[in-house]
Amino acid sequence: MRCATAKGASAVTLLEVQGLSVTIPSPAGPVQAVRSVDLCIAKGEIHGLIGESGCGKTMTGMALLGLTPAGAQVAARVFQFDGIDLSTSAAALRGRRIALISQDPAAALNPVLTIGRQMDDVLRTHSPHSKVDRRAGAVALLAATGLPDADKLMTCYPHQLSGGMQQRVVIAQALATGADFLIADEPTTALDVTVGAQVLALLRQLVADRGLTILMITHDMDVVAAVCDRATVLYAGLSVETGPASAILTCPRHPYAAALLAALPDAAPHGQRLAAIDGQIPPSTKPISGCAFAPRCPAVMSLCHTVPPPARVQGDHLWACHLAEGAP
Amino acid sequence: MTAPLLTVHELVVRYKTRGLFATPSKPAVDRVNLSLPAGSTLGIVGESGSGKSSLLRAVLRLVPVESGGITLDGQDWLATHGPDLRRARHSIGFVAQNPFLSLSPRLTIAQILAEPLLARGDKPGAAMQDHMALLLSRCGLPPDFLPRRARELSGGQAQRVAIARALALSPRLLVLDEPTSALDVSVQAQILNLLMDLKADFGLSLLFVTHNLKVVAHLADQLMVMRHGCVVEAGATQRIMAAPEQSYTRELMGFGQRFGQNTKP
Repeated sequence: MRCATAKGASAVTLLEVQGLSVTIPSPAGPVQAVRSVDLCIAKGEIHGLIGESGCGKTMTGMALLGLTPAGAQVAARVFQFDGIDLSTSAAALRGRRIALISQDPAAALNPVLTIGRQMDDVLRTHSPHSKVDRRAGAVALLAATGLPDADKLMTCYPHQLSGGMQQRVVIAQALATGADFLIADEPTTALDVTVGAQVLALLRQLVADRGLTILMITHDMDVVAAVCDRATVLYAGLSVETGPASAILTCPRHPYAAALLAALPDAAPHGQRLAAIDGQIPPSTKPISGCAFAPRCPAVMSLCHTVPPPARVQGDHLWACHLAEGAP
Repeated sequence: MTAPLLTVHELVVRYKTRGLFATPSKPAVDRVNLSLPAGSTLGIVGESGSGKSSLLRAVLRLVPVESGGITLDGQDWLATHGPDLRRARHSIGFVAQNPFLSLSPRLTIAQILAEPLLARGDKPGAAMQDHMALLLSRCGLPPDFLPRRARELSGGQAQRVAIARALALSPRLLVLDEPTSALDVSVQAQILNLLMDLKADFGLSLLFVTHNLKVVAHLADQLMVMRHGCVVEAGATQRIMAAPEQSYTRELMGFGQRFGQNTKP
Protein backbone atom coordinates (compact mmCIF):
# COMPACT_ATOMS: atom_id res chain seq x y z
CA MET A 1 0.00 0.00 0.00
CA ARG A 2 1.21 3.46 -0.71
CA CYS A 3 1.60 6.10 1.93
CA ALA A 4 -1.22 8.47 2.72
CA THR A 5 -1.40 10.76 5.70
CA ALA A 6 -4.11 12.70 7.46
CA LYS A 7 -2.82 16.16 6.76
CA GLY A 8 -2.19 15.56 3.08
CA ALA A 9 1.03 16.36 1.30
CA SER A 10 1.93 19.13 3.76
CA ALA A 11 2.37 16.68 6.66
CA VAL A 12 5.85 15.41 7.40
CA THR A 13 6.05 11.64 7.40
CA LEU A 14 7.75 10.51 10.60
CA LEU A 15 7.53 6.77 10.21
CA GLU A 16 7.28 4.82 6.98
CA VAL A 17 7.19 1.04 7.02
CA GLN A 18 6.48 -1.14 4.02
CA GLY A 19 6.36 -4.91 3.92
CA LEU A 20 7.58 -5.42 7.49
CA SER A 21 7.88 -9.08 8.43
CA VAL A 22 9.08 -10.71 11.65
CA THR A 23 9.89 -14.42 11.56
CA ILE A 24 10.69 -16.22 14.81
CA PRO A 25 12.30 -19.65 14.75
CA SER A 26 10.53 -22.33 16.82
CA PRO A 27 10.77 -26.13 17.15
CA ALA A 28 7.61 -26.41 15.02
CA GLY A 29 9.15 -24.38 12.21
CA PRO A 30 9.44 -20.62 11.65
CA VAL A 31 6.55 -18.58 13.10
CA GLN A 32 5.42 -15.66 10.96
CA ALA A 33 4.48 -13.26 13.77
CA VAL A 34 4.29 -10.38 11.30
CA ARG A 35 3.82 -11.25 7.62
CA SER A 36 3.60 -7.92 5.82
CA VAL A 37 2.73 -4.69 7.63
CA ASP A 38 2.63 -1.24 6.03
CA LEU A 39 2.52 1.79 8.28
CA CYS A 40 2.74 5.45 7.43
CA ILE A 41 2.55 7.89 10.31
CA ALA A 42 2.72 11.68 10.01
CA LYS A 43 4.32 13.90 12.62
CA GLY A 44 1.86 14.88 15.35
CA GLU A 45 -0.60 12.09 14.61
CA ILE A 46 -2.06 9.43 16.90
CA HIS A 47 -2.16 6.29 14.80
CA GLY A 48 -4.18 3.32 16.00
CA LEU A 49 -2.91 -0.20 15.35
CA ILE A 50 -6.03 -2.36 15.70
CA GLY A 51 -6.14 -6.12 15.93
CA GLU A 52 -7.03 -9.15 18.01
CA SER A 53 -4.70 -11.50 19.88
CA GLY A 54 -2.07 -13.02 17.64
CA CYS A 55 -2.44 -10.54 14.77
CA GLY A 56 1.10 -9.24 15.28
CA LYS A 57 0.32 -5.78 16.61
CA THR A 58 2.61 -5.99 19.64
CA MET A 59 5.39 -7.65 17.59
CA THR A 60 5.15 -4.78 15.09
CA GLY A 61 5.73 -2.36 17.97
CA MET A 62 8.63 -4.45 19.25
CA ALA A 63 10.21 -4.42 15.77
CA LEU A 64 10.05 -0.61 15.76
CA LEU A 65 11.84 -0.64 19.14
CA GLY A 66 14.41 -3.22 18.04
CA LEU A 67 13.14 -5.55 20.77
CA THR A 68 12.20 -8.64 18.77
CA PRO A 69 13.06 -11.99 20.43
CA ALA A 70 16.54 -13.46 19.99
CA GLY A 71 16.93 -15.17 16.61
CA ALA A 72 13.98 -13.33 15.05
CA GLN A 73 14.43 -12.18 11.45
CA VAL A 74 13.13 -8.68 10.76
CA ALA A 75 12.82 -7.67 7.10
CA ALA A 76 11.15 -4.75 5.36
CA ARG A 77 11.21 -3.04 1.96
CA VAL A 78 11.04 0.38 3.63
CA PHE A 79 11.80 0.81 7.34
CA GLN A 80 12.42 4.50 7.89
CA PHE A 81 11.99 6.71 10.95
CA ASP A 82 12.56 10.41 10.22
CA GLY A 83 14.99 9.50 7.44
CA ILE A 84 16.91 7.02 9.59
CA ASP A 85 16.98 3.34 8.63
CA LEU A 86 15.36 1.43 11.51
CA SER A 87 16.70 -1.94 10.40
CA THR A 88 20.16 -0.92 11.61
CA SER A 89 19.44 1.75 14.23
CA ALA A 90 16.20 0.77 16.01
CA ALA A 91 18.15 -0.06 19.18
CA ALA A 92 20.04 3.25 19.02
CA LEU A 93 16.80 5.25 18.70
CA ARG A 94 15.08 3.36 21.53
CA GLY A 95 14.95 5.50 24.65
CA ARG A 96 16.15 8.55 22.68
CA ARG A 97 13.64 9.20 19.89
CA ILE A 98 11.27 6.24 20.40
CA ALA A 99 9.85 5.23 23.80
CA LEU A 100 7.41 2.57 24.97
CA ILE A 101 4.38 2.88 27.24
CA SER A 102 3.48 -0.67 28.17
CA GLN A 103 0.15 -2.20 29.11
CA ASP A 104 0.75 -2.88 32.77
CA PRO A 105 2.35 0.06 34.60
CA ALA A 106 2.83 -2.02 37.76
CA ALA A 107 5.12 -4.34 35.80
CA ALA A 108 6.92 -1.47 34.04
CA LEU A 109 7.97 0.17 37.32
CA ASN A 110 10.52 -1.29 39.72
CA PRO A 111 8.69 -2.07 42.98
CA VAL A 112 11.73 -1.55 45.25
CA LEU A 113 12.84 1.88 43.98
CA THR A 114 11.15 5.22 44.66
CA ILE A 115 9.48 7.13 41.84
CA GLY A 116 12.18 9.81 42.20
CA ARG A 117 14.98 7.29 41.77
CA GLN A 118 13.31 5.74 38.74
CA MET A 119 12.77 9.13 37.11
CA ASP A 120 16.38 10.05 37.84
CA ASP A 121 17.63 6.81 36.27
CA VAL A 122 16.11 7.91 32.97
CA LEU A 123 17.19 11.55 33.24
CA ARG A 124 20.76 10.70 34.27
CA THR A 125 21.39 8.73 31.09
CA HIS A 126 20.00 11.47 28.90
CA SER A 127 21.21 14.76 30.32
CA PRO A 128 24.44 16.12 31.77
CA HIS A 129 22.57 18.21 34.34
CA SER A 130 23.33 18.34 38.05
CA LYS A 131 21.42 16.27 40.56
CA VAL A 132 19.37 19.28 41.72
CA ASP A 133 18.40 20.23 38.16
CA ARG A 134 17.49 16.65 37.37
CA ARG A 135 15.23 16.53 40.42
CA ALA A 136 13.49 19.73 39.36
CA GLY A 137 13.11 18.28 35.87
CA ALA A 138 11.61 15.07 37.22
CA VAL A 139 9.08 17.00 39.34
CA ALA A 140 8.15 19.14 36.34
CA LEU A 141 7.61 16.06 34.15
CA LEU A 142 5.48 14.34 36.78
CA ALA A 143 3.42 17.52 37.14
CA ALA A 144 3.07 17.70 33.34
CA THR A 145 1.36 14.31 33.38
CA GLY A 146 -1.27 15.69 35.74
CA LEU A 147 0.02 14.10 38.94
CA PRO A 148 -0.84 16.16 42.02
CA ASP A 149 1.85 16.82 44.66
CA ALA A 150 4.61 15.75 42.28
CA ASP A 151 7.22 16.84 44.82
CA LYS A 152 5.87 14.51 47.50
CA LEU A 153 5.45 11.71 45.00
CA MET A 154 9.19 11.53 44.38
CA THR A 155 9.68 9.63 47.64
CA CYS A 156 6.79 7.21 47.06
CA TYR A 157 7.08 3.62 45.93
CA PRO A 158 4.97 2.33 43.00
CA HIS A 159 2.68 0.26 45.26
CA GLN A 160 1.57 3.43 47.05
CA LEU A 161 0.11 4.75 43.78
CA SER A 162 -3.11 3.80 42.02
CA GLY A 163 -3.00 2.19 38.57
CA GLY A 164 -3.82 5.46 36.84
CA MET A 165 -1.08 7.31 38.74
CA GLN A 166 1.42 4.55 37.94
CA GLN A 167 0.60 4.86 34.24
CA ARG A 168 1.16 8.62 34.48
CA VAL A 169 4.59 7.96 36.00
CA VAL A 170 5.41 5.61 33.09
CA ILE A 171 4.32 8.34 30.65
CA ALA A 172 6.51 10.87 32.54
CA GLN A 173 9.44 8.46 32.15
CA ALA A 174 8.77 8.21 28.43
CA LEU A 175 8.79 12.02 28.23
CA ALA A 176 12.02 12.13 30.27
CA THR A 177 13.84 10.30 27.50
CA GLY A 178 13.06 13.22 25.21
CA ALA A 179 11.46 10.85 22.71
CA ASP A 180 9.14 12.39 20.13
CA PHE A 181 7.56 9.06 19.08
CA LEU A 182 5.74 6.98 21.69
CA ILE A 183 4.59 3.41 21.18
CA ALA A 184 1.65 2.93 23.54
CA ASP A 185 0.85 -0.79 23.80
CA GLU A 186 -2.68 -1.08 25.20
CA PRO A 187 -2.04 1.76 27.69
CA THR A 188 -5.54 1.67 29.19
CA THR A 189 -6.35 -2.06 29.19
CA ALA A 190 -5.20 -2.57 32.79
CA LEU A 191 -7.07 0.52 34.00
CA ASP A 192 -10.67 1.24 34.94
CA VAL A 193 -12.85 2.83 32.24
CA THR A 194 -12.98 6.28 33.83
CA VAL A 195 -9.24 6.27 34.66
CA GLY A 196 -8.42 5.03 31.17
CA ALA A 197 -10.37 7.95 29.70
CA GLN A 198 -8.24 10.36 31.77
CA VAL A 199 -5.00 8.75 30.58
CA LEU A 200 -6.16 8.99 26.95
CA ALA A 201 -7.02 12.66 27.46
CA LEU A 202 -3.52 13.20 28.85
CA LEU A 203 -1.90 11.56 25.81
CA ARG A 204 -4.05 13.67 23.50
CA GLN A 205 -2.97 16.81 25.36
CA LEU A 206 0.73 15.82 25.27
CA VAL A 207 0.49 15.37 21.50
CA ALA A 208 -0.90 18.87 21.19
CA ASP A 209 1.49 20.52 23.67
CA ARG A 210 4.75 18.77 22.85
CA GLY A 211 4.31 17.77 19.22
CA LEU A 212 4.53 14.07 20.01
CA THR A 213 3.54 11.29 17.65
CA ILE A 214 1.92 8.14 19.08
CA LEU A 215 1.40 4.64 17.74
CA MET A 216 -1.59 3.41 19.78
CA ILE A 217 -1.66 -0.38 19.82
CA THR A 218 -5.14 -1.47 20.89
CA HIS A 219 -7.98 -3.93 20.44
CA ASP A 220 -10.53 -1.48 21.81
CA MET A 221 -12.55 0.45 19.22
CA ASP A 222 -13.59 2.95 21.89
CA VAL A 223 -9.93 3.93 22.31
CA VAL A 224 -9.58 4.38 18.55
CA ALA A 225 -12.72 6.49 18.45
CA ALA A 226 -11.59 8.61 21.38
CA VAL A 227 -8.03 9.56 20.40
CA CYS A 228 -6.83 8.25 17.04
CA ASP A 229 -6.51 10.39 13.92
CA ARG A 230 -5.76 7.47 11.64
CA ALA A 231 -5.69 3.73 12.11
CA THR A 232 -4.41 0.52 10.58
CA VAL A 233 -6.21 -2.81 11.00
CA LEU A 234 -4.06 -5.93 11.27
CA TYR A 235 -5.18 -9.49 10.59
CA ALA A 236 -2.88 -12.53 10.78
CA GLY A 237 0.23 -10.36 10.60
CA LEU A 238 -0.98 -8.37 7.59
CA SER A 239 -2.15 -4.77 7.44
CA VAL A 240 -5.52 -5.13 5.71
CA GLU A 241 -6.90 -1.62 5.97
CA THR A 242 -5.57 1.84 6.78
CA GLY A 243 -7.27 5.22 6.75
CA PRO A 244 -8.79 7.98 8.87
CA ALA A 245 -10.00 6.50 12.18
CA SER A 246 -13.50 7.88 11.69
CA ALA A 247 -13.76 6.31 8.22
CA ILE A 248 -12.62 2.91 9.48
CA LEU A 249 -15.05 3.02 12.41
CA THR A 250 -18.10 4.20 10.49
CA CYS A 251 -17.45 2.77 7.03
CA PRO A 252 -14.96 -0.12 7.17
CA ARG A 253 -14.00 -1.46 3.73
CA HIS A 254 -12.15 -4.68 4.51
CA PRO A 255 -14.58 -7.50 5.41
CA TYR A 256 -12.53 -8.31 8.54
CA ALA A 257 -12.69 -4.74 9.81
CA ALA A 258 -16.43 -4.71 9.10
CA ALA A 259 -16.94 -8.04 10.91
CA LEU A 260 -14.91 -6.86 13.91
CA LEU A 261 -17.08 -3.75 14.29
CA ALA A 262 -20.28 -5.76 13.80
CA ALA A 263 -19.22 -8.11 16.64
CA LEU A 264 -19.25 -5.28 19.19
CA PRO A 265 -22.06 -5.64 21.73
CA ASP A 266 -23.56 -2.25 20.87
CA ALA A 267 -23.70 -3.05 17.14
CA ALA A 268 -26.79 -5.26 17.53
CA PRO A 269 -30.16 -4.32 19.07
CA HIS A 270 -30.61 -5.23 22.75
CA GLY A 271 -30.86 -8.99 23.32
CA GLN A 272 -30.34 -9.87 19.64
CA ARG A 273 -27.64 -12.30 18.54
CA LEU A 274 -24.30 -10.65 17.80
CA ALA A 275 -22.54 -11.11 14.49
CA ALA A 276 -19.71 -13.32 15.75
CA ILE A 277 -16.90 -14.19 13.32
CA ASP A 278 -16.84 -17.96 12.78
CA GLY A 279 -13.59 -19.86 12.54
CA GLN A 280 -10.13 -18.98 13.79
CA ILE A 281 -7.16 -16.95 12.61
CA PRO A 282 -4.88 -18.96 10.31
CA PRO A 283 -1.91 -20.61 12.11
CA SER A 284 1.17 -18.40 12.00
CA THR A 285 3.39 -21.35 11.06
CA LYS A 286 1.72 -21.89 7.67
CA PRO A 287 2.04 -19.67 4.59
CA ILE A 288 -1.10 -17.94 3.33
CA SER A 289 -2.23 -18.33 -0.26
CA GLY A 290 -4.68 -15.74 -1.47
CA CYS A 291 -6.48 -13.62 1.13
CA ALA A 292 -5.79 -14.43 4.81
CA PHE A 293 -9.42 -13.74 5.77
CA ALA A 294 -10.94 -15.86 2.96
CA PRO A 295 -11.85 -18.92 5.14
CA ARG A 296 -13.95 -16.71 7.47
CA CYS A 297 -15.16 -14.07 5.04
CA PRO A 298 -18.94 -13.78 4.45
CA ALA A 299 -18.37 -12.41 0.93
CA VAL A 300 -15.72 -14.93 -0.13
CA MET A 301 -15.25 -15.72 -3.83
CA SER A 302 -13.30 -18.60 -5.38
CA LEU A 303 -10.32 -16.46 -6.36
CA CYS A 304 -9.94 -15.21 -2.74
CA HIS A 305 -8.42 -18.57 -1.80
CA THR A 306 -5.68 -18.45 -4.42
CA VAL A 307 -4.93 -14.87 -5.48
CA PRO A 308 -3.62 -12.29 -2.97
CA PRO A 309 -6.07 -9.35 -2.81
CA PRO A 310 -5.13 -6.15 -4.67
CA ALA A 311 -4.73 -2.83 -2.87
CA ARG A 312 -7.75 -0.57 -3.18
CA VAL A 313 -7.42 3.18 -2.76
CA GLN A 314 -10.09 5.76 -2.10
CA GLY A 315 -8.54 9.09 -1.17
CA ASP A 316 -6.46 8.42 1.93
CA HIS A 317 -8.36 5.23 2.75
CA LEU A 318 -6.59 2.04 1.63
CA TRP A 319 -7.57 -1.60 1.93
CA ALA A 320 -6.74 -4.95 0.38
CA CYS A 321 -9.71 -6.88 -1.03
CA HIS A 322 -10.87 -8.52 -4.23
CA LEU A 323 -14.18 -6.66 -3.93
CA ALA A 324 -13.74 -3.29 -5.60
CA GLU A 325 -16.06 -1.53 -3.15
CA GLY A 326 -14.96 -3.49 -0.10
CA ALA A 327 -17.19 -5.05 2.54
CA PRO A 328 -20.82 -5.52 1.49
CA MET B 1 -44.41 -11.19 37.19
CA THR B 2 -42.63 -14.35 38.26
CA ALA B 3 -41.41 -14.73 41.82
CA PRO B 4 -37.81 -13.64 42.29
CA LEU B 5 -35.24 -16.42 42.28
CA LEU B 6 -32.76 -14.36 44.24
CA THR B 7 -33.35 -11.40 46.52
CA VAL B 8 -30.73 -9.50 48.45
CA HIS B 9 -31.92 -7.24 51.23
CA GLU B 10 -29.80 -4.47 52.83
CA LEU B 11 -26.68 -6.59 52.48
CA VAL B 12 -23.51 -5.41 54.21
CA VAL B 13 -20.16 -7.13 53.68
CA ARG B 14 -17.21 -5.82 55.65
CA TYR B 15 -13.70 -7.22 55.68
CA LYS B 16 -12.03 -7.38 59.09
CA THR B 17 -9.20 -5.03 59.94
CA ARG B 18 -6.34 -6.43 61.94
CA GLY B 19 -5.70 -5.31 65.51
CA LEU B 20 -7.94 -5.09 68.54
CA PHE B 21 -8.28 -1.30 68.55
CA ALA B 22 -8.20 -0.74 64.79
CA THR B 23 -11.09 1.33 63.49
CA PRO B 24 -13.54 -0.81 61.54
CA SER B 25 -13.02 -0.68 57.78
CA LYS B 26 -15.56 0.79 55.41
CA PRO B 27 -18.00 -1.85 54.21
CA ALA B 28 -17.09 -3.41 50.84
CA VAL B 29 -20.79 -3.81 50.14
CA ASP B 30 -23.00 -1.20 51.79
CA ARG B 31 -26.74 -1.90 52.20
CA VAL B 32 -27.33 -3.32 48.73
CA ASN B 33 -30.75 -4.48 47.62
CA LEU B 34 -31.47 -6.48 44.51
CA SER B 35 -34.11 -8.78 43.13
CA LEU B 36 -33.55 -11.22 40.28
CA PRO B 37 -36.73 -12.69 38.76
CA ALA B 38 -36.45 -16.28 37.49
CA GLY B 39 -35.31 -16.42 33.87
CA SER B 40 -34.00 -12.87 33.74
CA THR B 41 -30.55 -11.31 33.67
CA LEU B 42 -29.16 -8.74 36.06
CA GLY B 43 -25.99 -6.92 35.08
CA ILE B 44 -23.83 -5.52 37.85
CA VAL B 45 -21.40 -2.89 36.60
CA GLY B 46 -18.60 -1.24 38.50
CA GLU B 47 -14.92 -0.43 38.51
CA SER B 48 -12.21 -1.88 40.73
CA GLY B 49 -13.17 -1.57 44.39
CA SER B 50 -16.84 -0.95 43.70
CA GLY B 51 -17.83 -4.02 45.71
CA LYS B 52 -19.27 -5.97 42.77
CA SER B 53 -17.06 -9.01 43.37
CA SER B 54 -17.69 -8.92 47.14
CA LEU B 55 -21.42 -8.91 46.47
CA LEU B 56 -20.96 -11.87 44.15
CA ARG B 57 -18.91 -13.75 46.74
CA ALA B 58 -21.57 -13.12 49.37
CA VAL B 59 -24.22 -14.56 47.03
CA LEU B 60 -21.94 -17.57 46.48
CA ARG B 61 -21.51 -17.84 50.29
CA LEU B 62 -17.74 -17.45 50.00
CA VAL B 63 -17.41 -14.47 52.35
CA PRO B 64 -19.22 -13.85 55.66
CA VAL B 65 -22.04 -11.34 55.62
CA GLU B 66 -22.21 -8.70 58.37
CA SER B 67 -25.91 -7.94 58.12
CA GLY B 68 -28.80 -8.16 55.72
CA GLY B 69 -30.41 -11.11 54.06
CA ILE B 70 -30.25 -13.23 50.93
CA THR B 71 -33.18 -15.33 49.78
CA LEU B 72 -32.58 -17.97 47.12
CA ASP B 73 -35.58 -19.75 45.65
CA GLY B 74 -37.74 -18.85 48.64
CA GLN B 75 -35.26 -20.12 51.24
CA ASP B 76 -33.19 -18.10 53.67
CA TRP B 77 -29.88 -18.63 51.91
CA LEU B 78 -27.72 -17.31 54.76
CA ALA B 79 -29.34 -19.72 57.26
CA THR B 80 -28.50 -22.77 55.13
CA HIS B 81 -25.58 -24.76 56.52
CA GLY B 82 -23.79 -28.09 56.28
CA PRO B 83 -25.15 -30.79 53.94
CA ASP B 84 -28.13 -28.59 53.07
CA LEU B 85 -25.78 -25.87 51.84
CA ARG B 86 -23.81 -28.39 49.77
CA ARG B 87 -27.00 -29.57 48.11
CA ALA B 88 -28.38 -26.09 47.61
CA ARG B 89 -25.16 -25.00 45.95
CA HIS B 90 -26.00 -27.30 43.03
CA SER B 91 -28.49 -24.68 41.92
CA ILE B 92 -25.76 -22.07 41.34
CA GLY B 93 -23.22 -22.29 38.54
CA PHE B 94 -20.17 -20.04 38.49
CA VAL B 95 -17.99 -18.85 35.59
CA ALA B 96 -14.81 -16.89 36.36
CA GLN B 97 -12.96 -14.32 34.29
CA ASN B 98 -9.91 -16.25 33.11
CA PRO B 99 -10.62 -19.82 31.98
CA PHE B 100 -6.93 -20.71 32.06
CA LEU B 101 -6.90 -19.95 35.79
CA SER B 102 -10.25 -21.54 36.59
CA LEU B 103 -9.58 -24.77 34.64
CA SER B 104 -6.84 -26.98 36.04
CA PRO B 105 -3.98 -27.36 33.55
CA ARG B 106 -3.31 -30.90 34.80
CA LEU B 107 -6.75 -32.36 34.15
CA THR B 108 -8.41 -33.35 30.89
CA ILE B 109 -11.67 -31.67 29.90
CA ALA B 110 -13.45 -34.94 30.80
CA GLN B 111 -11.99 -34.86 34.34
CA ILE B 112 -12.87 -31.18 34.71
CA LEU B 113 -16.50 -31.79 33.72
CA ALA B 114 -16.71 -34.96 35.84
CA GLU B 115 -15.69 -33.19 39.07
CA PRO B 116 -19.01 -31.52 39.88
CA LEU B 117 -20.90 -34.70 38.87
CA LEU B 118 -18.74 -36.91 41.11
CA ALA B 119 -19.06 -34.41 43.95
CA ARG B 120 -22.84 -34.75 43.66
CA GLY B 121 -22.46 -38.51 43.96
CA ASP B 122 -22.99 -39.59 40.35
CA LYS B 123 -21.36 -42.90 39.41
CA PRO B 124 -18.74 -42.76 36.67
CA GLY B 125 -19.68 -44.68 33.55
CA ALA B 126 -21.15 -44.45 30.09
CA ALA B 127 -24.09 -42.33 31.26
CA MET B 128 -21.73 -39.72 32.71
CA GLN B 129 -19.65 -39.73 29.50
CA ASP B 130 -22.79 -39.11 27.46
CA HIS B 131 -23.86 -36.33 29.82
CA MET B 132 -20.46 -34.64 29.49
CA ALA B 133 -20.50 -34.90 25.69
CA LEU B 134 -23.98 -33.37 25.72
CA LEU B 135 -22.78 -30.50 27.94
CA LEU B 136 -19.93 -29.79 25.54
CA SER B 137 -22.16 -29.86 22.48
CA ARG B 138 -24.63 -27.50 24.20
CA CYS B 139 -21.67 -25.13 24.54
CA GLY B 140 -20.65 -25.51 20.90
CA LEU B 141 -17.74 -27.94 21.29
CA PRO B 142 -17.44 -31.43 19.75
CA PRO B 143 -17.09 -34.46 22.10
CA ASP B 144 -13.53 -35.14 20.88
CA PHE B 145 -12.46 -32.28 23.17
CA LEU B 146 -13.01 -34.56 26.21
CA PRO B 147 -9.50 -36.10 26.31
CA ARG B 148 -7.76 -32.76 25.69
CA ARG B 149 -6.37 -30.36 28.28
CA ALA B 150 -7.23 -26.70 28.86
CA ARG B 151 -3.83 -25.48 27.65
CA GLU B 152 -4.49 -26.95 24.19
CA LEU B 153 -7.60 -24.79 23.75
CA SER B 154 -8.04 -21.20 22.63
CA GLY B 155 -9.41 -18.66 25.11
CA GLY B 156 -12.92 -18.88 23.68
CA GLN B 157 -12.94 -22.69 23.69
CA ALA B 158 -11.64 -22.79 27.27
CA GLN B 159 -14.36 -20.37 28.39
CA ARG B 160 -16.95 -22.63 26.72
CA VAL B 161 -15.60 -25.54 28.82
CA ALA B 162 -15.89 -23.39 31.96
CA ILE B 163 -19.51 -22.61 31.06
CA ALA B 164 -20.19 -26.31 30.39
CA ARG B 165 -18.80 -27.14 33.85
CA ALA B 166 -20.99 -24.47 35.45
CA LEU B 167 -24.03 -26.06 33.77
CA ALA B 168 -23.11 -29.63 34.76
CA LEU B 169 -25.49 -29.80 37.75
CA SER B 170 -28.37 -28.06 35.91
CA PRO B 171 -28.29 -24.89 37.99
CA ARG B 172 -31.08 -22.34 37.96
CA LEU B 173 -28.76 -19.40 38.55
CA LEU B 174 -25.57 -18.77 36.60
CA VAL B 175 -23.15 -16.32 38.22
CA LEU B 176 -20.63 -14.82 35.79
CA ASP B 177 -17.67 -12.71 36.94
CA GLU B 178 -16.26 -10.80 33.93
CA PRO B 179 -16.72 -13.84 31.65
CA THR B 180 -15.55 -12.09 28.47
CA SER B 181 -12.95 -9.64 29.75
CA ALA B 182 -10.02 -11.91 28.86
CA LEU B 183 -11.35 -12.59 25.35
CA ASP B 184 -11.07 -10.90 21.96
CA VAL B 185 -13.99 -8.96 20.55
CA SER B 186 -14.99 -11.59 17.98
CA VAL B 187 -14.77 -14.37 20.61
CA GLN B 188 -16.65 -12.23 23.12
CA ALA B 189 -19.51 -12.05 20.61
CA GLN B 190 -19.56 -15.87 20.36
CA ILE B 191 -19.68 -16.27 24.16
CA LEU B 192 -22.42 -13.65 24.57
CA ASN B 193 -24.46 -15.42 21.87
CA LEU B 194 -23.92 -18.74 23.68
CA LEU B 195 -25.08 -17.25 27.00
CA MET B 196 -28.22 -15.87 25.37
CA ASP B 197 -28.98 -19.29 23.83
CA LEU B 198 -28.37 -21.16 27.10
CA LYS B 199 -30.49 -18.72 29.04
CA ALA B 200 -33.41 -19.32 26.71
CA ASP B 201 -32.95 -23.12 26.49
CA PHE B 202 -32.44 -23.82 30.20
CA GLY B 203 -34.53 -20.99 31.62
CA LEU B 204 -31.47 -19.76 33.47
CA SER B 205 -31.23 -16.61 35.51
CA LEU B 206 -27.96 -14.78 35.04
CA LEU B 207 -26.05 -12.60 37.46
CA PHE B 208 -23.50 -10.94 35.20
CA VAL B 209 -20.73 -8.86 36.77
CA THR B 210 -18.46 -6.75 34.58
CA HIS B 211 -16.71 -3.41 34.29
CA ASN B 212 -17.81 -3.12 30.66
CA LEU B 213 -21.22 -1.49 30.59
CA LYS B 214 -21.70 -2.06 26.86
CA VAL B 215 -21.21 -5.83 27.14
CA VAL B 216 -23.71 -6.32 29.92
CA ALA B 217 -26.18 -3.79 28.55
CA HIS B 218 -26.56 -6.01 25.51
CA LEU B 219 -27.97 -9.02 27.34
CA ALA B 220 -29.15 -7.80 30.74
CA ASP B 221 -32.80 -7.07 31.46
CA GLN B 222 -31.84 -4.98 34.45
CA LEU B 223 -28.71 -3.07 35.34
CA MET B 224 -27.15 -2.12 38.65
CA VAL B 225 -24.27 0.34 38.72
CA MET B 226 -22.07 0.14 41.83
CA ARG B 227 -19.45 2.50 43.21
CA HIS B 228 -17.62 2.36 46.54
CA GLY B 229 -19.87 -0.48 47.73
CA CYS B 230 -23.12 1.36 47.10
CA VAL B 231 -25.66 1.12 44.32
CA VAL B 232 -25.41 4.30 42.28
CA GLU B 233 -28.18 3.54 39.83
CA ALA B 234 -30.43 0.56 39.16
CA GLY B 235 -33.28 -0.15 36.81
CA ALA B 236 -34.32 -1.51 33.44
CA THR B 237 -31.41 -1.68 30.96
CA GLN B 238 -33.10 0.28 28.21
CA ARG B 239 -34.07 3.07 30.58
CA ILE B 240 -30.53 3.41 31.96
CA MET B 241 -28.82 3.21 28.58
CA ALA B 242 -31.22 5.73 27.04
CA ALA B 243 -31.23 8.22 29.91
CA PRO B 244 -28.73 7.57 32.72
CA GLU B 245 -29.64 9.58 35.79
CA GLN B 246 -26.13 9.65 37.23
CA SER B 247 -23.14 11.31 35.58
CA TYR B 248 -21.03 8.38 36.80
CA THR B 249 -23.11 5.99 34.70
CA ARG B 250 -22.53 8.21 31.68
CA GLU B 251 -18.79 8.13 32.37
CA LEU B 252 -18.87 4.33 32.50
CA MET B 253 -20.64 4.19 29.16
CA GLY B 254 -17.25 5.00 27.79
CA PHE B 255 -15.62 7.57 25.66
CA GLY B 256 -16.49 5.95 22.34
CA GLN B 257 -19.86 7.63 21.88
CA ARG B 258 -18.73 9.12 18.58
CA PHE B 259 -19.45 5.97 16.63
CA GLY B 260 -22.61 4.31 17.83
CA GLN B 261 -24.04 3.36 14.48
CA ASN B 262 -22.13 1.58 11.76
CA THR B 263 -23.58 3.44 8.82
CA LYS B 264 -22.79 2.67 5.22
CA PRO B 265 -22.91 5.28 2.50
